Amino acid sequence: MSKRDNRAAAHHRAAPPVTSPQESRARVESLIASGKTREALDLAKQWFKETRSAEAEALVIAAYEARIGAMLAQGLYADATALAALVGDRFPAHRQRLVPLVTQSRAIAAGDVRTLVAELAAAAPPRRQEIEAILMRELRDPRLLAEADTLAADHPLRRAARAVCDLFAAVTSGRLPEGALAALDQVPRHSPLAPWKLLIRALDAYYRRADGAALANLDAIPPRAAPARLVPVLRHLIGEPGALDQRLPAVGALIKAVSGGRPMLRPHLLRLVRALDGKDPGTAVATVERILPLLELEPAPVKRIFTATVLRHWHRLNLNPKPLIEALRRDRRDLDWQRETQRLIALTLERSGAWDEALIFWDGYFTAVTRAGTLSATGRAASRVLLHMAELVPADREEVLDTFDVDSEQELEALIRTGELPECVDRGRLLARAREADPDPRVFRALVAHWESRDPRRAEAEAEAWRQAHPRDLEPLLHLVRASERRGAHRKALDLLDEAEAINRVHPEVRQSRIRLLLASAERRIREGRFALALADLDRLEKDAAATSGDTWAYLGAVRSVATRRNGDGPGAVRLHEELASRFGNPTTLALILSSVAESFGLDPPAAPEPASPAETVQALARSCDLFRTLDRPLAVPPELLARVERDLGGASPADLHSLCVGGLYMGRPALTYAASGEGLATDGPLLHRFLLARGRALSAAASRRDRDRAGRCLRAAREMAGRARDMDAVREASSVIDALGRSPESAPWAPPAPVADLEPLTTDEIARLISAERAHRQAPTFGAEKAPRKRRRQPRRPQRDLFDDFLAFVEKNL
Amino acid sequence: MLGIEETADDEEVRAAYLTAVRRSPPDRDPEGFRRVREAYEAVRDEERRLALRLFGPAPLDRLDALLDTIPDERRHVGPEPWLDLLRGDRP
Repeated sequence: MSKRDNRAAAHHRAAPPVTSPQESRARVESLIASGKTREALDLAKQWFKETRSAEAEALVIAAYEARIGAMLAQGLYADATALAALVGDRFPAHRQRLVPLVTQSRAIAAGDVRTLVAELAAAAPPRRQEIEAILMRELRDPRLLAEADTLAADHPLRRAARAVCDLFAAVTSGRLPEGALAALDQVPRHSPLAPWKLLIRALDAYYRRADGAALANLDAIPPRAAPARLVPVLRHLIGEPGALDQRLPAVGALIKAVSGGRPMLRPHLLRLVRALDGKDPGTAVATVERILPLLELEPAPVKRIFTATVLRHWHRLNLNPKPLIEALRRDRRDLDWQRETQRLIALTLERSGAWDEALIFWDGYFTAVTRAGTLSATGRAASRVLLHMAELVPADREEVLDTFDVDSEQELEALIRTGELPECVDRGRLLARAREADPDPRVFRALVAHWESRDPRRAEAEAEAWRQAHPRDLEPLLHLVRASERRGAHRKALDLLDEAEAINRVHPEVRQSRIRLLLASAERRIREGRFALALADLDRLEKDAAATSGDTWAYLGAVRSVATRRNGDGPGAVRLHEELASRFGNPTTLALILSSVAESFGLDPPAAPEPASPAETVQALARSCDLFRTLDRPLAVPPELLARVERDLGGASPADLHSLCVGGLYMGRPALTYAASGEGLATDGPLLHRFLLARGRALSAAASRRDRDRAGRCLRAAREMAGRARDMDAVREASSVIDALGRSPESAPWAPPAPVADLEPLTTDEIARLISAERAHRQAPTFGAEKAPRKRRRQPRRPQRDLFDDFLAFVEKNL
Repeated sequence: MLGIEETADDEEVRAAYLTAVRRSPPDRDPEGFRRVREAYEAVRDEERRLALRLFGPAPLDRLDALLDTIPDERRHVGPEPWLDLLRGDRP
């Protein structure tokens, strides 16, 4: 027997035997009044079937009306409408009587409860309970009840609705004042507004971050009540797992507006972390696909950070990138996002050291965005991208040649010309494109630096172009001055220097350049035997206040004595020496100056003075270092004197120690820098960061990897301390050496990148520990790492184009 | 962190920074202030914003740290977004 038959049998069994029409009518009306509409309808139908009387027909219609009303109360709108249509067909005379029920059914289904509310004012049980049940389920905005004119203003339900409206608006608009929820006490437990009361309490608890109380109130909301539709959203906002239809725009909008979507992301992110930890790319890709739509709710940078991070982790784990890239494509068939993904892949590759493959993706990105017009092919942004690409190409030419397994730049150039390698792997071409996009000083600086070691003439031409494009820039002029000086074109160099002085006379290099140029001119003339002209240059120099300050005058005196000696005036040279000795207080310093100058002209040094005390020797070397470094002249120091100074640094002043640190680097003697910085680190003064910087620089020239790691730590600490001391020159110097260390040929391109923690600033405690450790390191390391001969790769490395081609084909197809 | 659009100019960035500092003053929320400051330093002028747009963002060391980039806020948005969901979610 079917369920339906069972139910019918049960109803028939439940129906008492009919005795009279009066009894039947009374029985049906009693069942309707008690809400048992199904039984009432069965009984009325049975009586009508037996009698076919008008009275029975009226009763069966009443039973149908009650049944349809009950179905509406249960939310069975479609069933109720269908039943009303059926009854209208069977009893055409009563069709009009059923019309209001059908209309009401359709209105409720559309969310309009006004007719119900109007009926409520006069409704008696059980119709009243039916209406209240419908309201509980269908009242999706309590204002409909609060503003219903069909109810009296003081009707308890309308009063309660007003309280609910006010509190709902208040709780969603700001923190509720203490005791505000007491207004909800007028809403009884059985009221159709009771679920709203629970919702308001849950919202209040949510905003007070009392998540336990919020969840308890949400759990108490009947699942069929209208506010229950907000329960999954609130549970998500709290961070509770649960089903939520995120495809509904209103859900996304609400979550974004209230929380920014953070609670929805958490479980997925944790799943992704676990999948990556377990090297499970299938689950990871599926999770990425779940996460990406959620990130649409977030600001654009969040999605970019996520994508960059996933790509980075993916690459670190050496997982096949194709499924991930496919997932990123599927996420949004939006070409801007495709191009953006290409950029993020390029960044991932370059961060991993795969500069050649990164360049391919950068080039693809650049071509795509400029073609699409999202990035102008000219201007600052384009120039920055091209400059960035150029900077990815290693400065070490050997590394570039190694990467492409070619023996010379000519061979590399040939591969580029024939199209076997893309043009984007050539730094010079990239810089030229950057200059075309935006002739910015940064680009010119990079161009000049690029060509300086390859083709000085080309570097000079770029500096000249720079000067033309930026006539007020000092930098190209200084480069041209140096270039002219190197070529021996001192006259031109001095003319250029005049222009530089017109721009900035007090610039340190400008000031030093005039002395250096005149000195170089005088020295060249001495070598050429044009002594009168040399002495004239020296006369001009001695009129310059800067040239006679500090110890410079002694250097000029030494050069003059050489000129006099080479001119055959031996007694004159002796007189000059005596005059210098009488004016110069420190004979050891003077001896160092005279001997270095004499040596630079290939002359025998004068007789050495009496051995000085260790302190005097240290001071003499420190002064000489400062002088020769300032004048950019070679300082020749006898090895035994250097060894003595490195041994006897105890008691030297911090200033002298610092001069020796810098001088050691200038002379290419890292052992001196190491010893002086060690002595300086033992002092606690304002130069501490400078000593740490010098220690780092000395160690960066050490032979062993361990010592170079030490160098990196010292340099990072020095940079941090210099930053705190606002010594920006030291910050820049430390950064530059750190960069150079990072680019050392020993760091394999595919080596895992340094953990991010290592790149974070050192704390004060870490710096203090490092300084203590360096103070304890007295033994100088072995310096002068020899560069390993270039090893040929077993397999030539060519940029991996397949992934890129695949990607580009997709983008182009959609353009 | 600062809640600004990518096209924001210097003035808008500055205004957003000051608002964020008022929300996380250094004496009451030093960690929050540090993050606000870092965010501001990354976008304070056009050159930095350009660099961030072209060469950012830096990937995170931990994926779940992404949550830290999304503020744990519970914003009061008024009744309408809630009612929109109820009204729009018709069977």
